[in-house]
Formats: sequence, structure tokens, C-alpha cells
Amino acid sequence: MRPISRADFLKGLGGLAVLGLGFQFLRVRPAQFRVSMVGPSRQVGHRLRDLMKDGAASLSSFVDCGSKTVVIVGGGMAGLSAGWWLKKNGFQDFLILELEPQVGGNSSFGENAVSKFPWGAHYVPLANRESKYVRQLFLELGIIEADHDKEKPRYNELYLCHDPQERLLKDGSFQEGLVPKRGLKPAEEDEMKRFFDRVHELRETRGSDGKPAFAIPLDLSSEDACFRNLDKISFARWLKENNFVTRPLQWYVNYCCRDDYGATAENVSAWAGLHYFAGRRGHAVNAETNSVVTWPEGNGFLVSRLREMLADKIVTNAPVLRLIEDKEGGNLCYFTSDGAVSRYKAKFAIFCAPRFLAPYLVENYKLEKKPTYAPWLVANITLKKVPGGRGVGLAWDNVSYYGDSLGYVVANHQNITTRQSRVVVTYYLPLSQLPPDAARRKLLNSPEKAWSAAIVEDLETMHPGITADIISIDLWPWGHGMISPGVDYIWQERRQLPLNQGAVHFAHSDMSGISNFEEAQYQGVQAAERVLAQLEKS
Amino acid sequence: MIYPLLLTAFVISTCGLVYELIAGTIASYLLGDSVTQFSTVIGVYLFSMGVGSYLSRFVVKNVIATFIRVELLVGLVGGISASLLFLLFEHVENFRILLYSLVSIIGILIGLEVPLLMRILQDKLEFKDLVSQVFTFDYVGALLASLLFPLVLVPYLGLVRVSFLFGLFNVLVAFWSIRLFKNELKSSTFLNTMAVVLVLALTGGFAFSEKIMTVAETSTFPDPIIFSTSTPYQRIVITGNGKDIRLFLNGNLQFSTRDEYRYHEALVHPGMAALPQASDILVLGGGDGMAVRELLKYPQVKSIQLVDLDQKMTQLFTEQEILTRINKNSLKDTRVKVLNGDAFVWLRKNDRKFDFIVVDFPDPSNFSLGKLYSDTFYKTLKKSLKPNGLVVIQSTSPYFAKNSYWCVVNTLKASGFYTTPYHAYVPAFGDWGYVIGSQTPFCPGKNYAPALTYLSPESFNAMLEFPKDMLPTKTAVNRLNNQELVHLFEAEWSEYEAH
Ligand SMILES: Cc1cc2nc3c(=O)[nH]c(=O)nc-3n(C[C@H](O)[C@H](O)[C@H](O)COP(=O)(O)OP(=O)(O)OC[C@H]3O[C@@H](n4cnc5c(N)ncnc54)[C@H](O)[C@@H]3O)c2cc1C
Repeated sequence: MRPISRADFLKGLGGLAVLGLGFQFLRVRPAQFRVSMVGPSRQVGHRLRDLMKDGAASLSSFVDCGSKTVVIVGGGMAGLSAGWWLKKNGFQDFLILELEPQVGGNSSFGENAVSKFPWGAHYVPLANRESKYVRQLFLELGIIEADHDKEKPRYNELYLCHDPQERLLKDGSFQEGLVPKRGLKPAEEDEMKRFFDRVHELRETRGSDGKPAFAIPLDLSSEDACFRNLDKISFARWLKENNFVTRPLQWYVNYCCRDDYGATAENVSAWAGLHYFAGRRGHAVNAETNSVVTWPEGNGFLVSRLREMLADKIVTNAPVLRLIEDKEGGNLCYFTSDGAVSRYKAKFAIFCAPRFLAPYLVENYKLEKKPTYAPWLVANITLKKVPGGRGVGLAWDNVSYYGDSLGYVVANHQNITTRQSRVVVTYYLPLSQLPPDAARRKLLNSPEKAWSAAIVEDLETMHPGITADIISIDLWPWGHGMISPGVDYIWQERRQLPLNQGAVHFAHSDMSGISNFEEAQYQGVQAAERVLAQLEKS
Repeated sequence: MIYPLLLTAFVISTCGLVYELIAGTIASYLLGDSVTQFSTVIGVYLFSMGVGSYLSRFVVKNVIATFIRVELLVGLVGGISASLLFLLFEHVENFRILLYSLVSIIGILIGLEVPLLMRILQDKLEFKDLVSQVFTFDYVGALLASLLFPLVLVPYLGLVRVSFLFGLFNVLVAFWSIRLFKNELKSSTFLNTMAVVLVLALTGGFAFSEKIMTVAETSTFPDPIIFSTSTPYQRIVITGNGKDIRLFLNGNLQFSTRDEYRYHEALVHPGMAALPQASDILVLGGGDGMAVRELLKYPQVKSIQLVDLDQKMTQLFTEQEILTRINKNSLKDTRVKVLNGDAFVWLRKNDRKFDFIVVDFPDPSNFSLGKLYSDTFYKTLKKSLKPNGLVVIQSTSPYFAKNSYWCVVNTLKASGFYTTPYHAYVPAFGDWGYVIGSQTPFCPGKNYAPALTYLSPESFNAMLEFPKDMLPTKTAVNRLNNQELVHLFEAEWSEYEAH
């Protein structure tokens, strides 16, 4: 028998390859799921830009709505909180004008046949003792049931995050909690312990002025230079200088920075980085210290309650176009609603939109330096069934040691039903690998299919085969998601942002430098206080 | 003879690469981080092949027989490799040791094969042809494997079947070689038998691979299944052997007709005997209608509201002959209203008040069930209770899951109830625990329904006594945010099952 020739062989091989490809095409494609890109309404934004280009010209004809003592621009957490505080203090003559069809801003939520779900903010940690306003609101909403002014209040257990709270996929299996535990070398374990000892010590540390080293809201933090100087170096540098170098710790710290600030340890200051670990000091009689309160719709729960309280004060689909100082030192507030330009004459305005918009909206406002905002992509994914996995079962927050994302939070987790059928999970991806501007372009220009493919790929590494269980993926890009507390932002740059310009007072979480519910609320209440004080004077 | 042997080289290398890919893929599935897994698996595999090649020099005699034996061994180890990795993952202390041992064994065997094959061929071809031919086939086989594996094999067959299939190919090559070398081999009986056994075993594995994957999950039922169905919430299985009918939910025994009267009498009567005026009753869970059957023995009962999650379940126990015979058509009684819904959700909206509430949920074996044993649940329950009303809760076994049982009692107490724990012996379950919750200290009553099979005032008194191995323990309160009970329950039952 002659040895077969190479030509014959290659023919045979070619045949097989064709056969294989044929099979590939014949293969029944898995059921396709629906992908869609949801808000924020860019349309309105573009229109706003056009209108502003035309300048005062387009504002010459308007519907006169009369006068209001206070107009609040933007119904995010800061704006709603300003309204809450005004109303609480017996002041009624105000309105909240919101660009979107619903209030909430970064704390907005959605709902489908399976569950409500967050589009952004999804939890609040137990409130520190100094977080007075948070505790006050929580008491009013029944989130705190008793002892809101004591060290350890009693929380409503329906709202405390149900157990299991967190799990991390590492080395092939899910472990409890997000601090890496599986497969650590002794040196890594030691370093982890040293790190937590250090930040827990800082958590209890007070400065020479008697204030906590790291407080919530952060304005109440100690002014000692030894703490404030930490704002002058990056967190990454602090970690290196303090010899925190092993990979599991670096992973964990970066995870936390990206989770809270949308930026890596390189890009946040050491003060901000440490604030995450040493700032949260809240306790409860009926929960552990690291507990959080959460709802299926995330902080949308707080938005809904505030919206109910302020129902008659809220106008939605009403983007503010311009705030112009009038002769009496008050404001003329132009906004559109139902397509027509309208105007309120207001004594005061509280500007609760992000500060980078102020130059476009507030007449004669100059922004020295545009703050940095981190872009985010949030996806709500509806699944046919609960995603499994080896190790501990589904938790509220589910994270992978290997992915680029922050994992996902299960919207149905807080349900008290025994049904275990379909679930909605909220997937978070801070685009922290690129510089913010480039990331923003990528975020807004990449097609939704590209995003969904990347998300599916990431989820597949956590749960092989999960693709078949996906019913739909809804995406929400946040171009200017969160203020980034980079080096020198919190204790220098943001303090140069004026609190007011004439009768326009500012309130937004970017004035704290840390984007969360507590800071947004604090800024809102502070602005309302300033306005109330002025009103009292006059 | 040359052509078949070269084809052998081709099959061997295809199989070898497939095993390597299987190991790499499973390792990345199970351990994550595919770059690391694939690199290390390939590294270990190639190195082992080197070891195998080196070892081949020690094979001096019986080259052909050794070659065939190696071939059979590769078939066996490679064939079962995927199932072995999947099945043992949960059970071995260090999965990586298993993984790399398996990869090394396969690598060494494959590494032995090629040199042996070349030696078999050495006097049939010129050296330059030999080397060129063998390696051509070897590398082309590798290419084929690496293309087929992701495109065809894994999508169509799945890892476990692919591994059996290629094991089979190896064994068939061995078979073929035995044929080819009939004359050179001294005796081929042993090799032939081995080959046949392996073909059968691997074919079996291939055919039953689905079963192998679910072997851990399927529970076996001792008696024939007479009815089974899956609902959105659970799998309902009813078995019967003529005398004894048993209900299983998700594989867990719910009752056996031999002794369910003990369980249900103990659940219902101690409470009812103390409530001569009880007219409005609420049953949560208990879709089998057995607790309702016991409640209907009291003439003072005017209405019973049953809330059970699973419509299929209550429907079955309302309509199926064999089942309604057991619950005496209780769910069809005019006094009984059946509602299908979530107990917790329903309770939070309910504003009716009841004299007696029977809580008969499945054991707290998962987090969503654990919520139905939380202090928040019991506080909600309290709002639906009349001032003199009572609740009774089935609360797992104080013998098998002592801490779990006392955790239920402690949680009920922490929710503002007076608690009266008691237990009964139910042969199908073992020693079983209950607890009565009341708003004033509980006094056992005497007004038992007539004609009970098990319970009497005296026997109840005995049930209140807990022997030394079941005495109360201190536990945390079961809260939504700590799921203490589920953790205790898991720990205790897994310990028990491990023995
Ligand atoms: C993805 C993501 C996840 C987050 N997760 C959490 C979390 O878990 N917990 C937490 O505490 N915080 C979280 N945050 C932080 C969140 O930003 C804050 O909690 C809070 O919602 C910020 O509120 P704000 O009022 O400061 O700002 P915004 O939410 O930005 O509010 C500004 C509002 O102004 C409106 N507006 C803008 N321009 C105009 C105009 N011209 N006219 C009228 N209205 C206008 C906007 O529509 C918006 O409603 C998250 C943020 C993001 C992006």
C-alpha cells in the first residue's frame, strides 16, 4: 500500500472542515434575547444645546407662569432633599423642575413584569450618628423604627439587606463576602488583616478638633492636616507607601474604589479611598455594622417616597434652559414644558443639576475647571431563572474576581415571596480603564449589541451557559455618572466652587466630591437652609 | 500495514489533544481564569509527553503489546476524564492535584505512544520518511482536534460525551492494532477482552452521560412513583406500594399515610383543645389538606382560610381520588376557602383576625423559605391574631437539628410571643418539633376532638418534656438579614447526612 499523499490528505481535511462549518450553520441558534438602550433622554439634551446656541433670542417669547419664591432645578436626590427640607420647615412656595419624565436622577428606577430594578444607586449603608438628616428621613419613612438618635437605632428588617448579602467568585467557586478568602497565601492573608486593622483604627480615630477623621457627610470630618494631606496623594500611592501590595488586597481595594467612585485607586485620592473604608461607622441593634438598606428598585424607593411627599411640587419633562438674574436680584427661570418655553419669576433658585452644566444654564457663570465625572454603564438583565454556581448560593451582590465589571445585584433579593422563577439582575460597569472623556465617547458611540455581547461574555465566565436563560438586556449609559474624587478635589478644588451666585444656590453631590445618597441629601439640605436663612432675613 | 499505522498516529494525536482541551476547558469552567488554566494544563501536558517519550526507552521487549496496552489505558483514562473531573470537584480537597495528575497521566501515555509507534514502523520505512510521515499525521491530527473541539464537539456533544467518544476511538485503535499484529503478538486474548470491556464501558458512559451529570441531584424513591409533576415552585412526587402512600416535595418526604396522623394530630389538636371558641382559622402552607382535615373535627370552626403557594398542589389534593381519600375531601368542605399565593405577602395585606393560625411550611432549607421563619414574619403574623388567639408552627426536628428547632422557638419569643415548645415521634420523620405561640401564658386545654388516634391530654403533657439530648440551646434570632436558621439548618442536616 502506498503511503497516502499529502494532497489526498489535505483534501480529506478540507472536506472535514467544510463538514464542521456546515454543522455550525445547521445548529439551531439559541433563542435571541431583546437588547435595548434606555434613557437618559439625549433628545432633550440636544434640544437644550440648540436652544442655548440661539441664546436669549429663543427666550424672547414665553408663557409667563407668574412667580414662585423658590425654584429647584433638577429633581435628583439633592433637589428632592432640598424640597423635603423646605417643606419640613413649613415653607411651601416652591417648585421642582425636572428634565426627565421622572424625578430621581442617578437614583432612578424601572420596572418590568418580573420586578422593579435600579438604574443607578441601589443601597445606603447604615447611617452614622453624625448623618443626622439621613437618620431623620429614615425615621419618617419607617426605615428606622426606633432610636434614630441613639448609637444603635432599630431598623426595619424588611429593608435591611437580607442574608446572604455578598458572594465572590474566586478559584472556581463562590465564597461568602467580597473580601477574597479562597486560596490566599499566608503573606496575602497577613496583609489583608493588616489593612483592615489599619482602616478600622482610622474608623474610630478622631482629630484634635474632636471630629471623626472620616465623617459622613464628609464636611463634618476633622480638619487636621494629617488627614487632609491624604487628599494630596493618590490612594494607589498611599497603598504602595504603606506596603499594601499583594494582588488579592489590590483587587479588593480597586473593586471598592470602582464601586463607590467609578475610578481605580490610581485615580482617587488617598483621603477619598480611605473614606470608603473608614467612614462607615453606622450601627443597628438588629444588624451587623457592614449592613446596608436596599430595595428591589434600589434608592428609587427613597425617590418614590419623596415624590409622594412632594407630589404637588414636582413638574417633570421640564428642562430648565436658563437662569437669568433680574433687576430685583432674583431669578428669571426659563424652562420648556410641552415644547413651549415658559418662565417663572423666582426670588431664589436652587440649582441641583451637576455643576458642569452651570455655565450653560446660569447666566454669567464661569467654571474655572470642569470637575471629572466617571462614566458608567448599567444593565438590567431579566433571566428565566436564578443563576446558580458552585459554592454559596445566590446573594444580593454577586461579584467575580476575574471580570472587568462589578458583577450584579439581584433586584428580587428583598422579595418575601417563595417564588424562585424569573429574576432581574442589575449589572454595573464603571468605565474606569479609559480616561473619562475617551470612556464617555466609547460609552455613547458603541452600538448596544457590542455592549450586550461584552456583558454576556462576562456573565458567561461567572455562570457558564447563562446566555440561554437571558430574556432581555436593557442598557443605561451614564455619561457623567459620578463625580471623581481625584487628588486634591475634595479638599481643594471643590471648595473653590461657589456655594451660590447671587440668588442661585447650588446643590449637587459633585459639591462633596463623593457621589452617594448621603452627600446628595446633605448638599440639598444645606442649600435649602441657606435659602431659608435668607428668607428669614428679608 | 504502514497506512493503518499512520492513521493510528493521526487518531492518537487527535485524541491526545482533545483530552488536553477537555482538561483545560473544565478547569476554566470550574476554577475560572481561563488563561491560567489553559497555560498550565498545556504546560503540564507537554512536559508529561516529554516524560513519556523519555520512558519509552525502557520498553525493550514486547513493544507492540506495550503500545496496545498504552492505547487501552489512554482510552480508559481519557474517556472518563471529563466525568471524573466533574464528579469529584465537589468532593476532593484539592482539585488541582486531581486535575494535574490526570493531565500528567494522559500526557505520559501519549508521550509513550509516538516513539513506540515509530519503533514499530522503523523497519518498514526509511528513517527520513518515517519521521516525516509520523509527524505529519501527528500534527494534522492536532489541528483537526483543535478545530473540531470548539466548533462541533463541545456544542453538539458536551464535554462529558466528547471525552467518552474519544476514549472509544482510542480503544478502537487498540482493537485494530490487535488485528494487525495478530502474528507478532504471543497471545491477544487478554488484550481483546480488555478492549471489549472498555468499549462497552465507554459506550455505556457515552449513552448515560446525562445521568452521570445529574447523579448527585436525583434522589431515589423506595416505592413506585404513582404520580409526579413539576410546578413553578417544586417537584411533586407521590409514591405508593399498596399500603403506604408518600408525598415528596423536591425529593423531601412530606408524609407517609402510615403515620401522617401523628404529625397532623400533633400539629393541630394541642392548640385547638385550648380554644373551645375558635371559629376562624388560618392555615399557611399545608396545601395537602391534612391539617384542615383535623381542624374540621371541631364543630365550633366556622371558616378556614388556607393560603398555599402552589395551585397545582391544592388542586391535586382537591381532585385526585387517592389523595382526597387521605384528606377526607377536606379542601372541598364549604367552610374552607383556598387561596394560592405567597403567605408573607398575603399576611402583610391581610386585615382579618383569626383565633388560630397553623403554620405548616417546608423546612427552612433555602433562603426564601428561611424568610418565612424570621422575626419579621412572626411580627406580621401577630397582627392577624385575635388577642386570645394561638399560632402553632412546625419547626423541624429537635433531635436531628436541635439548634434549628430552638432557633425557631427563640425567634418566636423575640417576636413578642409566649412560647410552648413540644415534640412528637413520627416514625417516618423521627422526633418532630412544634411550638405554640400565644399572647398570654399558654394553658393546655382538655377539649380534644373525639376519636383521635394519637393525641390525648396525657400524651400532650408528655410531649412538653424534652429529654436531655434535646434541651433548649441559645441561638441568635432568625432575621431576614442574617438567615441564622438556614445556616444552622444546613450545618445540622449536612452533619447528620454525613454520618
Ligand atoms: C451607576 C451608579 C450607581 C450608584 N450607586 C449608588 C449607590 O448604590 N448608593 C448611593 O448612595 N449612591 C449611588 N450612586 C450615586 C448617586 O449619584 C447619588 O446617590 C445621588 O443619586 C446623586 O444625586 P444628585 O442629586 O447629586 O445628582 P443627580 O442624580 O445627577 O441629579 C441631577 C438631576 O438634575 C436633573 N437635571 C439636569 N439638568 C437639568 C435641567 N437643565 N433642568 C432640569 N433638571 C435637570 C437630572 O435629570 C437629575 O434628575 C450611584 C451613581 C451611579 C451613576
